Amino acid sequence: MTNEDPRIVCFSCNFAFCGRQSPAPPNVNVTRVQCIGRLDPVSILETFEKGADAVMLAGCKPPDCHFQEGNVHAELTFKILKRLLKLSGLEPERLELVWASPFEDQDLNHYIIRFAAKITKLPSSPLKRADAESSYTVNVIAAKNAASQFRMRVLLGREKELTESVNTYGEKIPEKDYDAMLEEIVGGEFIRYKIHFLTRNVPMSVKDLAEATGLDRNEVLDHVVDMRRKNMLAVDHIEGATPLYKALEV
Amino acid sequence: MAIESNTNVKRFPPCRSACPARVNVQAYVALLQKGRFKDAVEIIRKDMPFPAICGRVCFSPCEDACARTNVDQAVAIRALKRFVADIEREEERVKAEPVLKKHQERVAVVGAGPAGLAAAYELAKLGYPVTVFERMPEAGGMMRYCIPDFRLEKFVVDNEVAYIKEVGVEIKTGVEFGKDITIDSLRENGYSAIFIAIGTQLGMKLNVPGEDLKGVINAVDFLRDVSLGKPVEVGDRVAVIGGGNSAIDAARTSRKLGAKEVTVLYRRSREEMPALPREVAEAEKDGIKFQFLVAPKCLIGENGKVKAVECLRMRLGEPDESGRRKPVPISFSEHQYPVNTVVPALGQVAEAKCIPPELLNKETRNSLMTVDPQTLETKVPGVFAGGDIATGPASIIEAVGAGKRAAASIHLYLTGQDLHHMREECIEETTWVKNWGHVKKKECRYESEVEKPRLSFDEAAQYMEKLEQNAKFEAFRCLGCGPCAECLANTELCDADKAVVNADLCIGCNVCAVVCPFGAVKKNEDNIAEVNENSCKGCGICAARCPEQAITMEKMTNDRIILLATASCKE
Repeated sequence: MTNEDPRIVCFSCNFAFCGRQSPAPPNVNVTRVQCIGRLDPVSILETFEKGADAVMLAGCKPPDCHFQEGNVHAELTFKILKRLLKLSGLEPERLELVWASPFEDQDLNHYIIRFAAKITKLPSSPLKRADAESSYTVNVIAAKNAASQFRMRVLLGREKELTESVNTYGEKIPEKDYDAMLEEIVGGEFIRYKIHFLTRNVPMSVKDLAEATGLDRNEVLDHVVDMRRKNMLAVDHIEGATPLYKALEV
Repeated sequence: MAIESNTNVKRFPPCRSACPARVNVQAYVALLQKGRFKDAVEIIRKDMPFPAICGRVCFSPCEDACARTNVDQAVAIRALKRFVADIEREEERVKAEPVLKKHQERVAVVGAGPAGLAAAYELAKLGYPVTVFERMPEAGGMMRYCIPDFRLEKFVVDNEVAYIKEVGVEIKTGVEFGKDITIDSLRENGYSAIFIAIGTQLGMKLNVPGEDLKGVINAVDFLRDVSLGKPVEVGDRVAVIGGGNSAIDAARTSRKLGAKEVTVLYRRSREEMPALPREVAEAEKDGIKFQFLVAPKCLIGENGKVKAVECLRMRLGEPDESGRRKPVPISFSEHQYPVNTVVPALGQVAEAKCIPPELLNKETRNSLMTVDPQTLETKVPGVFAGGDIATGPASIIEAVGAGKRAAASIHLYLTGQDLHHMREECIEETTWVKNWGHVKKKECRYESEVEKPRLSFDEAAQYMEKLEQNAKFEAFRCLGCGPCAECLANTELCDADKAVVNADLCIGCNVCAVVCPFGAVKKNEDNIAEVNENSCKGCGICAARCPEQAITMEKMTNDRIILLATASCKE
């Protein structure tokens, strides 16, 4: 299935294309931000939620960031967003990061057209047609919540500090370990917020949740225990021998 | 540091603090990065009217101060200025809009050199009717008559003078101060304020026997005559005495006029030479010889014509009051250089005869005028003086700085305000760079001074493109280390933004301080993040990373970004 008229959102860095930008095609919305590192992962997920088929981030090729380190942050944001998109059941190809050198000749449109050609091969975003209860909506909301979660954001913010210099305990975390840690946290938080969202109106048992999330029951139980400890979830009532859980306000 | 109310605190990056005219370097380099060359020139013109002239001959204190020197080399600021100014001129400059004369008081400026023209330009921009009086047939002062054509082309000076005229400055040439006009006559003709910027026009004497011989011509007169197109006789062997820029200019000019052997005699060593190193290098390329640690003892003549310079060897002694090591003659070291022409270039003195004696500074030996160093006012109310006439021979950019200061004083004087009010400028050098090890090296590869090769039209277009790219590359070497330059504010390109902390949400996790590339966010004593507005450049990285989403940007909030981005997504 192809999509002839995809809605594409392009976030472009204010400094990467010095006036090299001819008018974009009508289906592409170009939004300029001061720095591509300024984009909050939550904002990008929200553009997907609001019906964008694809999002392109265009920034300055390292090491030419006007703000010195903005592109490093953009790269990190991009990495976890890919992961969250995958978890949400959206094709990770819907998000792309392109680097442009501020003094090269390529027009921004060149990158947009190349990206749009790829996107037309994908079906239109399922989020466009999704209602509030559809699994895509649930997923993207869970992803958004995960992305605004404290633990993950601290880890993102301190990436440089953790991998390049030593932490409070005098340890230096190798980049591989850091990536693994980030992966685990992103995955875990996503599931937890998904459970939280699913049980917000209706109390559900571990069995129901395992079916809804497609995970192993033990794994779900682990998360449920975790969430109870964090006051995200509480037992609503017990049906027979099965406890039913309901989300608490966070 | 305690700041008094009478002090004008400004936070500038190192380049701008180093510039006597306070040209907003960071701004025009930023505009250059964007390829907005014309806007860049306009930014320079906000601070001074000579972008192309300074782009060629400024001694660029900005480059010495440039923060990049801590990493690799300074950004080629002067060359970039020349580049944008040349592009503007070559693409036919749009005529400047004359500024409306909203003030009645007329101002007279005596001397159309850099100081006088800069003051006139500033005053015209403030809306005063200004008249500049100049003795020479054309305006420009030393810039026109003392800097040779190969360093500063006359059409460049013409262009910049034309711009000043277009803004609304009236220039009357051929009027000599002290002869055609005096302070009293100007007063009688209805000028409420007078700025004297006549510079130092006379070459300093050698004070050795034989100075009156034929074939001895002072560098200032020599360069002026060459500029005016007068016939100047230059022998085969020329000795230039002195080590300043005029000496180098005179040496190179005489070489270009046909002298076979040109030697520059300087009494100190190469390190102490006040001339710009790049000029010395150019001179060496022209085949000019240098003799260091020699001073003339006398000039030997034959039939009234100079034949040889007798010199003494020198050695360097203790540093004197100027900080340079004082040359001490070595006895019995006399030796001779056979020459046909001697060009003394030892500095300049003012023409004392045209200055009212009560305004003269008796303490200096080069007949300068006494002025208040801050406000540039003389003992006579309403009469100001600045530039070389007050400081002794200096540079163009220093003269422009003096002109600007005089213009500000005259404005205060004419509006009846205290001249000292808010004048004491306190410049704080501001850079965000905390750790120079983090700044990536990017070597300077800019060569602006290369002569344009002869090319076909196609090649020329390509060549220009390459120049543009080079300039942009060079501009991107700028660290933008100062506070956000107001250059691009409220334009479509850069909505200068600012981070705002919501203190209720902040939990003091310090992530913002870690991610901010400029060290603009810090925790205060209450463990709440605080934004230093002077260092914040509004990149928004802290807002994107704040774990509690307590930091938002003032203009581009997350909500606004989403609103803009998804405007076309709704079916």
